[in-house]
Amino acid sequence: METSRTTSRERQTAPDIQRPWEIPAADGTPLYVHVPFCEAKCPYCDFFSVAGEGQDIEGSLEALISEVERRGPRSPRTVFVGGGTPSWLSIDQLERLFGAMQSRTGYRDSAQEVTVECNPESLDEEKARALVELGATRLSIGFQSLRPETLELFGRVHGVDDSFAAFQAARAAGVAAVSVDLIFGAEGQTVGEWREDLTRVLDLKPEHLSCYGLTFEEGTLFTRWLEEGRIERIPEEEELELFRATRELTSTRGYHAYEVSNFCLSGHECHHNLNYWRNGPYVGIGPGAASYVSGTRFGNPRSLEAWRRGAKGGEASLPWSETLNPSHRLAETWWLGLRLAEGLDASAAREHCGVSASEDLCLPEARQLAEEGLLVERGGRWRLTGEGLELADAVSGRLLATGLA
Amino acid sequence: MQTERIRNFSIIAHIDHGKSTLADRMLEHTGAVQRREMRDQLLDDMELERERGITIKARAVTIEHEVDGETYQLNLIDTPGHVDFSYEVQKSMQACEGALLLVDASQGVEAQTVANAYLAVEQDLEIIPVLNKIDLAHSRPDEVAEEIEHSLAIDASDALAVSAKSGEGVGAVLDRVVREIPPPEGDLDAPLQALIFDAVYDEYRGIIVYLRLFNGVLTKRAMTRMLGTGKVYEAIEIGKFSPNMTKCDELRAGEVGYLVSNIKSLGDVRIGDTLTINKGPEVEMLPGYKEPVHMVFADFYPTNPGEFEALRDALETLSLTDSSFSFHPETSDALGFGFRCGFLGLLHMEIIQQRLEREHDMDMIQTAPSVTYMIRKAGGEEEMIRSPGQLPPRDHYEELLEPIARVSMLVPTEYLGNLMQISVDHRGTFVRQDHLSPTRVQVEFDMPMGEIIYDFYDKLKSATRGYGTLNYEVTGFNADDLVKLQILVNGDEVDALSCIVHRSQADMRGRAVLKKLRKEIPRHMFEVRLQAAIGSKIIARESIAALRKDVTAKCYGGDITRKRKLLEKQKAGKRRMRQVGNVDIPQKAFLSVLGGDDK
Ligand SMILES: Nc1nc2c(ncn2[C@@H]2O[C@H](COP(=O)(O)OP(=O)(O)OP(=O)(O)O)[C@@H](O)[C@H]2O)c(=O)[nH]1
Ligand code: SF4
Ligand SMILES: [Mg+2]
Repeated sequence: METSRTTSRERQTAPDIQRPWEIPAADGTPLYVHVPFCEAKCPYCDFFSVAGEGQDIEGSLEALISEVERRGPRSPRTVFVGGGTPSWLSIDQLERLFGAMQSRTGYRDSAQEVTVECNPESLDEEKARALVELGATRLSIGFQSLRPETLELFGRVHGVDDSFAAFQAARAAGVAAVSVDLIFGAEGQTVGEWREDLTRVLDLKPEHLSCYGLTFEEGTLFTRWLEEGRIERIPEEEELELFRATRELTSTRGYHAYEVSNFCLSGHECHHNLNYWRNGPYVGIGPGAASYVSGTRFGNPRSLEAWRRGAKGGEASLPWSETLNPSHRLAETWWLGLRLAEGLDASAAREHCGVSASEDLCLPEARQLAEEGLLVERGGRWRLTGEGLELADAVSGRLLATGLA
Repeated sequence: MQTERIRNFSIIAHIDHGKSTLADRMLEHTGAVQRREMRDQLLDDMELERERGITIKARAVTIEHEVDGETYQLNLIDTPGHVDFSYEVQKSMQACEGALLLVDASQGVEAQTVANAYLAVEQDLEIIPVLNKIDLAHSRPDEVAEEIEHSLAIDASDALAVSAKSGEGVGAVLDRVVREIPPPEGDLDAPLQALIFDAVYDEYRGIIVYLRLFNGVLTKRAMTRMLGTGKVYEAIEIGKFSPNMTKCDELRAGEVGYLVSNIKSLGDVRIGDTLTINKGPEVEMLPGYKEPVHMVFADFYPTNPGEFEALRDALETLSLTDSSFSFHPETSDALGFGFRCGFLGLLHMEIIQQRLEREHDMDMIQTAPSVTYMIRKAGGEEEMIRSPGQLPPRDHYEELLEPIARVSMLVPTEYLGNLMQISVDHRGTFVRQDHLSPTRVQVEFDMPMGEIIYDFYDKLKSATRGYGTLNYEVTGFNADDLVKLQILVNGDEVDALSCIVHRSQADMRGRAVLKKLRKEIPRHMFEVRLQAAIGSKIIARESIAALRKDVTAKCYGGDITRKRKLLEKQKAGKRRMRQVGNVDIPQKAFLSVLGGDDK
């Protein structure tokens, strides 16, 4: 009797690469650098970062610099220094970090966009100028909320005024673009309040705006509080109203909703982030940072110690790496691409992933979704409809399922 | 070994009274297993047995014990105690001349103590009562001995008291086995006559057959023939369980052992068949086993419709090690092609389902268990209704009948009131009651089988704080005012969700099913309407609101993989779902028809 048989279970090809971080990145590959320190840890945040006080900052800075020197891509098209809170570093520390980046990658001659994430409590005009001096073209400032009680709930260490002051500092320093981050959907927030707050921010005329619906990420304090009943999720109906209000208000002010949560004045899309949604390659440096090189995606350890050992050239153990098979990768490309207003070109996506037209399982699913009014196609490009956008995860889930077969 | 020096016995008891633990001590005491190789309930080697801490399958093992300077071969069979596996116990007894009736001296006589003792009496076995767990402070061996005498009419005045935990008294039990259980009657010079009582499938060696020899001798290399299937095979390897398979050159009348013949075809071996020597003198077929009576039926459908054949293979292989469940191809409008399976009870069903998933890597959708009904037509003609979907329209039959079981329960007297209440609530008819002792009472009811499997067992446990135990046996069919409860999802009837219920309970059951479905069925991009109906009359409704907002706010380079996997995980959960119309119904939802709070 034959007992062995193939099941429909997913068989993912295990990456054959022992040391993925040694795969050379092509010249021009975008660079992300992760600064893992903040003034204090916010309870909703699931980025890898720790409160900086009492930490061996110099040691980590050294490790960041060594990793840049080892792995930094030459002539990156874009650079994004995120975190954590890069602005939490001193000017001297920033100069050393950016200096090392420049000597390894030469980004100042190659990057069309250099973003640095900043928090109100640590961005004054002097620092903003120093960053512009180091080549920053975009400063992204974490306002998060304009309500003192919400800032407190969010565990933010700055006040509302600090946010406006930081914005003015960035303006005074003459940086090419300023972006503001906001979070909506905190318990008790009304649509009226949100409209008011958003209007105040739009009055500043930032080139770019990110508005995120509050998310309860796994492993955060917020999620624990939610489970313990200490905080509550707002009803789905209200969340939807806030989401719609955001799109409506930004649009009347002339902002382009180029991604689910991102808005900009014409020509000010964040190119570094566009590359993620277009499923392009990138090199990530710093603890917890992910890289995507030659079709393999891998992450650095989410622990300062483990990361530092590897960063300095020691035996590193990568917590994870994955190389998707072509059809899985195609499904991923669809999922990411549909987050963008520009949508995705079905045949370009196939080519990008090395899938032939007859093997393309996403396209038939997309057609089905179009029939249900969730997607539209024009000239080979696929986009979410208004309804589709609000159900983007359910739509993507179905496309991603085609990659699991 | 001469037959006079062989003793075949099984250990029988109510669940958890310590059979497997006593077997452990016997293995240790006789040196069959070294102390360092010992682990608790050594014979429970199936993954599910260890996880659940219960014995599912009877296990035979050979040990040697010395009495008065003579060495005896003891073949002991550790049996399961749960009511669903009493068929295993019955099979084991057929290979034995005696039984150790183990009773937990802190719990006393319970429902399966009684049931198993009766089985042993029926088989004419020599019964030795043993009181266990005397190390427990609250054990009351004297009272329990009286309970045994009263309820079973077995002399327990000299019952041995042991602690299977510490090993106290175990040597005395073995001595008594040798002294009191008669040796097997087999004739060494007669032609070979062996009962196939079990078998397992081994990927390399084919089917390994477990034998109890009644007459004659089986030697290595002999050509054997199975009387029932007529198949002829060479005895490539034979041996005993001590407790691991240990090769030997011959097996003799009275002994228990195994046979390897490189049998690859599942159909060639039938449990209960008789084995003899090919071309030897004619021998009679041994009595074999009676067909088990299946109490509970449920359908298994492969989640992936392409795996129907794979599911058949898996069921066939599994039925070799467990011959007590049945399966027949079945189709459902909602679920496609699958199998309707018969089980001895709910636990049995759960075990089979889990073994298929774990040992055979099957992904299945299972319908809620139900019983077999019967319709009586105008001309008096009767027809079995194996699943609610098969029930013809009301005007096609005169009467709808349901199986009735005689339920025997043993409870502490203080819970008698509760017990009466829940029995009546479950449409039970009182039969009799009998006080075993001032504190324990045995009560019998006739109750529809459907009520027992719905939630009666759970209710009994909570009504008696876990102390009540039950045993049941189907006695016949009874006509009643039964109706088919249909479940509609967005207007379409889902046959796999319908069930047959008593009219008086239809409203309550309908509402309960919808409530559970509401919890189990995920939200969709549209509203999902749920209805329960009898004929064209809607008796309950519920709805699942459409998903309004479902979009990940943040997704950047650092967490693309994690966020993608989250979405895929939700989707993978959906692989265990079936689409009915355009509604995804998860596997668990098909069990919503079942009672209990969280099934
Ligand atoms: N204190 C004490 N506990 C015991 C004794 N014998 C068994 N136990 C415990 O009782 C529980 C059940 O023991 P098992 O040997 O698995 O019982 P069983 O009769 O084989 O159970 P099933 O096979 O499921 O019917 C276990 O937790 C044992 O450790 C004993 O003599 N004293
Ligand atoms: S939200 Fe920003 S400031 Fe707060 S912990 Fe996260 S990275 Fe740090
Ligand atoms: Mg046991």
